[in-house]
Amino acid sequence: MKLFDPTASPVERAVAIAPRPQQLRGLRVGLVENTKFNADTILSKLADRLGADYGMAVTRMVRKRSPSHGVDEEHVEALRRISDFVVSGIGD
Amino acid sequence: MDTEFSDHEELIEAYFERGWTDGLPVVPPSEKSIAAMLAGAGLHGDEVISEIPSRNTIVKAEKLAINAVLAGCRPEYLPVVVAAVRGLCHQDFAYHGPASSTGGSAMVLIVNGPIARRLGINSGNNLFGQGTRANATIGRAVRLAMMNLMNTRPGFLDRATLGHPGKYSFCFAENETNHPWEPLHVERGFRPEQSAVTVYASNSLGQVYNQLASTPEPLLRCFADALCHLGVPNLRGFNQSLIVFAGEHAEVFRQSGWSKGDIREFLMLNARRTIADLKRAGRRPGEITPDDASTWKAVFERPEDILIVCAGGAAGSWSACLPGWGNKWTQSVTMPIDPGGVP
Repeated sequence: MKLFDPTASPVERAVAIAPRPQQLRGLRVGLVENTKFNADTILSKLADRLGADYGMAVTRMVRKRSPSHGVDEEHVEALRRISDFVVSGIGD
Repeated sequence: MDTEFSDHEELIEAYFERGWTDGLPVVPPSEKSIAAMLAGAGLHGDEVISEIPSRNTIVKAEKLAINAVLAGCRPEYLPVVVAAVRGLCHQDFAYHGPASSTGGSAMVLIVNGPIARRLGINSGNNLFGQGTRANATIGRAVRLAMMNLMNTRPGFLDRATLGHPGKYSFCFAENETNHPWEPLHVERGFRPEQSAVTVYASNSLGQVYNQLASTPEPLLRCFADALCHLGVPNLRGFNQSLIVFAGEHAEVFRQSGWSKGDIREFLMLNARRTIADLKRAGRRPGEITPDDASTWKAVFERPEDILIVCAGGAAGSWSACLPGWGNKWTQSVTMPIDPGGVP
């Protein structure tokens, strides 16, 4: 009698990692808020620190539909246009 | 690692040892039973059933059929399992949250249409309980698929704090033959003669009892209260909730002429708590202000967020409320069931 493997592994995908910023001063930062409780508060505090320490400016904070969803494509495009890097946060 | 066994019990143990079961013994598949299972839905083994891009998950027919055999399904059950898995993978269901949350949701499968009757899916007495093969094994197959094909394993991508007995299996049919209203799938755009399964994430089931109320308002006050107790997660934002009316309670609405819309309107107005209540219980931050005693937080944002189904035994003053998981981070979805060529 044969053993049948009922499992399937996740499909491997190549994901290109964005190049890291060489320096932080004056960069434009985008924020992704995932709707978890206090996620926006944590991100806002972080943005304040980045502004004070490195002169960064927040270009936009976008809100996901829910923690379960990915970032909507229109937000991805907007963040790509107006930000040098993006911080995504989680609350709770 | 051995993949051939001469002893049936050792084969069953091998599935346990590899972490491929839900804790109960499985039915070991064979080439023949897998082929029969696929034939039950008119599928070829390499067909893609569905995908979850955020999990890099692709569900293929052969693997799903293996899990259905393991669960104890008959081949003719596979079309329901396939449709349910497609529901889990639907973007509106947003699988990752309800499947992985500490909330530990069961995936409730509500089957409508002729296939429910043909397969003998229980819609009557003890429909949430033991004893009916179709209910037990269809839900089990979906959970095994979640574990084995979507990596939703306890302690890994299933982070349930408590879990729920319905995580073994939670499948039932709506009672469409003795029903005051149109059934759920018709309400959602399907024809009565079509079959469909609704997939809904819920981490609790509260039975609601009322033996005296003979008119809708007092009866529904019990449901409103059950839907907004201070520990219910739904008070944080707005969720869906499922109400299952069993025979005696459904009969109250039939005799009164109340529609589903009337019930929803009542619950929209009455399932609510004051902000003062929420602050006293630590469900809202901050000090209680004078206005908080007369400011209300409703449970529901839209009438359609209240799912109404009729099922259960004809006798007994019981119904059930099943709050939805996650602040609308998931939405129930209703998927057509392709009977795979079986009339």
